[in-house]
Amino acid sequence: MPERDTSGNQVTEDLTISTLSELDLLEDKYSGRKPLGLWADTWRRLKRNHLAVVGLCIIIVFLAVGMTQEIANVAGVNTGKPGTGYLAPYPPNAVNYELSPKGLGSPPSWSHLFGTDYLGRDVFSRTLVATRISMLVGVIAVSIALIIGLILGPISGYYGGAVDSVIMRTADVFFAFPYILFVLLIMTVLGPGLWNVFIAIGILSWASYARLNRGSVLSVKAMEYVEAARAQGASDLRIIFRHVLPNTMAPIYVAIAMGIGGAIVTEAALSFLGIGIQPPDASWGKMIADYLTYLQAGSWWMVTFPSIALTVTVFAFISFGNGLRDATDPKLKE
Amino acid sequence: MGERLLTVEGLSTHFFTYAGVVKAVNGVSFTLDRKETLGIVGESGSGKTVAALSLMRLIPDPPGKVVEGSLLLGDRDLRTITDEEMRQVRGNDIAMIFQDPMTSLNPVLKIGNQIAESIILHQDKGKGEAWRMAAELLDRVGIPDAEKRVNQYPFEFSGGMRQRAMIAMAISCNPDILIADEPTTALDVTIQAQIIDVIEEMQQRYESGVILITHDLGVVAEIADKVMVMYGGRTVEYGSIDEIFYNPHHPYTWGLLGSLPRLDQTEKTRLTPIKGQPPDLITLPSGCPFAGRCGYERPECRDQWPQLEIVGPDHGVNCWIPEDERREARASLPHFQAYVR
Amino acid sequence: MLTYVIRRLFQLVIVLIGVSLITFLIMFAIPGDPARQLAGKAPTPERIAVISEQLGLDQPLYVQYWRYVGRLVRGDLGESYSLQQPVGELIRQNAPNTIQLALAAVLIELLGIPLGIYSALRQYTFWDTALTTTALIIWGIPVFVLGVFVQWFFGLKLQEWTGYDMFQLTGAGENVLWIFPANWGSWSTLILPAVTLGLIEVAYISYMQRASMLEVIRSDYIRTARAKGLSERAVVSKHAFKNAVIPVMTIAGIDLGALMGGAILTETVFSRPGIGLMIYQAIGARDLPVVAGGVLFATIIYVFANLFVDIGYAFVDPRIRLEG
Repeated sequence: MPERDTSGNQVTEDLTISTLSELDLLEDKYSGRKPLGLWADTWRRLKRNHLAVVGLCIIIVFLAVGMTQEIANVAGVNTGKPGTGYLAPYPPNAVNYELSPKGLGSPPSWSHLFGTDYLGRDVFSRTLVATRISMLVGVIAVSIALIIGLILGPISGYYGGAVDSVIMRTADVFFAFPYILFVLLIMTVLGPGLWNVFIAIGILSWASYARLNRGSVLSVKAMEYVEAARAQGASDLRIIFRHVLPNTMAPIYVAIAMGIGGAIVTEAALSFLGIGIQPPDASWGKMIADYLTYLQAGSWWMVTFPSIALTVTVFAFISFGNGLRDATDPKLKE
Repeated sequence: MGERLLTVEGLSTHFFTYAGVVKAVNGVSFTLDRKETLGIVGESGSGKTVAALSLMRLIPDPPGKVVEGSLLLGDRDLRTITDEEMRQVRGNDIAMIFQDPMTSLNPVLKIGNQIAESIILHQDKGKGEAWRMAAELLDRVGIPDAEKRVNQYPFEFSGGMRQRAMIAMAISCNPDILIADEPTTALDVTIQAQIIDVIEEMQQRYESGVILITHDLGVVAEIADKVMVMYGGRTVEYGSIDEIFYNPHHPYTWGLLGSLPRLDQTEKTRLTPIKGQPPDLITLPSGCPFAGRCGYERPECRDQWPQLEIVGPDHGVNCWIPEDERREARASLPHFQAYVR
Repeated sequence: MLTYVIRRLFQLVIVLIGVSLITFLIMFAIPGDPARQLAGKAPTPERIAVISEQLGLDQPLYVQYWRYVGRLVRGDLGESYSLQQPVGELIRQNAPNTIQLALAAVLIELLGIPLGIYSALRQYTFWDTALTTTALIIWGIPVFVLGVFVQWFFGLKLQEWTGYDMFQLTGAGENVLWIFPANWGSWSTLILPAVTLGLIEVAYISYMQRASMLEVIRSDYIRTARAKGLSERAVVSKHAFKNAVIPVMTIAGIDLGALMGGAILTETVFSRPGIGLMIYQAIGARDLPVVAGGVLFATIIYVFANLFVDIGYAFVDPRIRLEG
C-alpha cells in the first residue's frame, strides 16, 4: 500500500517482496531503467512469452497475405476484372482435368506445392486466395461488433440506472443463445453470402465487448479526471467518448484478438455447414467441406492444407490474445 | 529478559530475476530473548519483511534464495535443518501474523477450521478438542461470542477482529517466537492500539519473544524493548528503545524520528519527510545504501559499508561520519532541540 | 442465498422472454414473406396461404407474438415441412443421442482439471511448458477439423494397419435406459465424437485450471497456510484446491448445457443422429421451423444450465450463501 505522510502526500511506495507478484512489481520498478509507458511495459512482458510472439508473427503474415489478396481482388489483378483478381501461382478456379486423373487430384509436387484438387485446381493457390475471406471476416465482423458494443457499453456504464439495466438485460438475452446456433439461425433467414456472414457474426458479438467495457467504465467513471471534465462543462457525450472510453481499452484489445480468432472459426464453420460464403468466393471452411469425402479415398492433401491454415491462424490469435492478457494483467505475472 | 531464543548472524537474501539480482537483505544480524520485543523498523523496501520470511524459510525459490547467514533457534540452524523439521518449527516454535488479515485468511474455510488446523497438526489433538481450543483462543484475544464466531467465515469478521483471529491462530501452539509483520498497517487507527495491546497481552501470557516489523515508530515506542533500523537491506542502527529515541546516531534514524508529527508543533508547521526515493535494490552501491539521501554524505560512503561502531550499551551504528560531527549535526536538527540530551 | 436465487430467477424470466421475442422476430418479422420462409423449399401458393392463416400472419405483430408464446408454452414449436412432423416430436426423438454425447464429452473434459493443477504446480518445468503448449495448439483446432482427422485416423488408417474395423464411424447405435449405449456398436459410435469434442475442451479446461491454480497459489492465505507448518500437499489439497477448482467447474457445467443443445459440427462430421444433425439437415432443406425450434430448445436448456451453475456456485461460496 502506498505510504503517506500525515499531509497525505505519498512518501514511498510499497516494496514488500513477499509474493512473486509483488516481486515482479518491484522488479519492474527497479530494473535500473527509466519508467516505461504502459505500452512499452506491455510489450516487454509480451516479448517474454514466446508463444505469443510466434502468434503475433503469424498474425502479421496472415494479415499481409489477406490484405494483398483483397487488394488484388479489388484491382482485378491477373483477370482484368475488378472483384475477381488474385495473386497466386495459378488461377484458383482454373479447372484442369489432366491434373486430376481418376478425379482424385494429384498429390503435392514441386510445381503444385499443395497438390491439386479433384478438378485439377491448384490447392496452394486456392488456400492462399481464401486467406482473403478469413481476414475480411475477422476484421469486418469484429468491427461491426465493436462499433455497437463500444457505443452501448460506455453509455450503459456511464449513465447507469434504467439505461444500464435495459442494455445489460438485452446483452443477457444475446448471451443466452449458444453462439453458433444463433449465427446459424440468422444465416438461415438471411441466406448465405459474404456480407450476410459479416452481419450475422457482427451483430451477435457486440454483447461481450459491451459488457466487458461497461465494467471498466464503471470504475473509471469514479475517477477524478472525469469530475474535472464535468466541472469544465464538458457534455456527457464528450466525457464518455473522449475521456472515459480511451482509458478502458486495455481488456478490449485482448477481446479483439480472441474475437477475430472466433470470427474466423465461425465463418469456417458456417461455410463447412454450407451456409456461409458461396462460390466463387473460396474460404478454408468451404474447402474442407468440399474435400472431405476425398480424404476417405486417399487424397489427403486437399483437406489437410486448408485445415492447417485455419488451425494455425486461429492458434495464432488465441496465443497472442492470451499473451496480451497475461502481459496487461497486473496480478498474474511470470 | 529471559533465555536467548534466536541468534541471527549475517543474513543475506537475494532474488535472482530477469532484471538482475535484487539484494533484498544484506548481512543483517540480531538476537531475540524470551519475553523481549524487537522492533524492526524501516520504510517499505528496507528488507524487513524479507528478513522475517527468510527466518521462516518462506522465501519463494525460484527466484529467491537465502545466500548467507546463520539462523540459530536454540542450537539448531534454521538454514540447514530439513524441510520436515522446518515444517515442525513453523507455527509451532515460530509463528507469524501478516499484514492484511482479509487476504491472509482463506475465504472459504471457517475461522475455527483455520485455527484448529495448527493445533491438530502440531499438538496431536483430535478435531473436537482442537475446535474447542480454537473457541477458547478467540475468546482470549478478545473476540466476543467466541463459541458462535468460531463457526463463521472470515468475511463475517470486521478488520480488527480478523487480525485478532490471526493472532489467535499464531499463538495456538504456544510459540516461543511471534513475528508480527506490520500487524496494524491495514487497520483503522482506532483499532491499531487494540491490536498492539492484544499482542502485548499474549506475549506476557505465553512468555514469548516478539519481533514486530513496522514502519510506524509510534507503535514501536509502545511495546518494543529494542529496535533495529533497516535501510536498503542493511541494518544501519540498533539499540534499546530509549537509546534509539533519545540518542539516535544514524542520519536515517534522525529522518524517521523527525518525520513524526508532534503534539507540540503548531498547525502551520510542515512535516518533514525524508527527501529522495528508496534505493534500487538491484543496483545498490557497495557502500551505504542511504548515501545520496543522507545529506551528510562523505566520499567513502558510497564505496564502502561502514564498520560497526558501538556508541553505547548495546547500541551500534554503521556510519562513516565521526561521532563528534554526528552529535553536532544532530544538535542542529530542529526537532531534536526539545528533548535530546 | 435466498435473495440471490430470487434475483437470478427474476433475471431468468426476463431472459426467456427476450429469447422468445428474438426468435419470434427472426421467424416472423423478417423482410420478405414469413409464410414463404416457413413453408420450406419450393412452396406452393396454397401452402403459403394455409400457413398464413394458421399462424395468423395478417395480424399485427404483437398479437402474433402473443399467440406464438401461447404455442410455445403448450410445447408447440411448429411443424417441419420437409419431414412432415411436429418439431417437438423431432426433438424428442433426437434428444437421447445428443444428451449421451454431451455427458460423455463433459466427463472426458473433466480430465483437464487434474492436468491443469499438475501443470500449475510444476510451473517452469518441461512438463508444464509441454502440456500448456499442447493445450493451446489443440484448443485452436476447429472442432470439425479435428473430427475429420479423428475419423480418418481411427477409421481408415486403423483399418488399413490392423485390418480390423474397430469403430463405427457414422450413425448411432441403440440405447438402453434412454441414454446408455446398449452394445459395443453403440459405444463405438459414441467414443470418437466424444473424444473429439472432449479433447478440445480438455485443452481449454486444463489451460483455465492452470491459470486459476497459479493465481490461487500466489495468494496471501496460501502463504499463511505454509507459515503454519502445513505440508505442501496439505496446503494444496485443503487450501488451494477448492478455491482453484470451483471457477473451473462452472465452465464444465456451462459446457454441458451448451452441448445438450446439440454439438452441430461434431454430429455433422460423424453423421451422428442428434439435435445438431437435425438442425443441419433442416438448414439444407430451408426448413425454418425446425431450425428455429431446435435453436430455441437448445437455448432454453443453455439458459437453465447457466442458472444451475450460478446457483451451485452461490451455494459453494460461503460469501454468497450466507449473505445472499
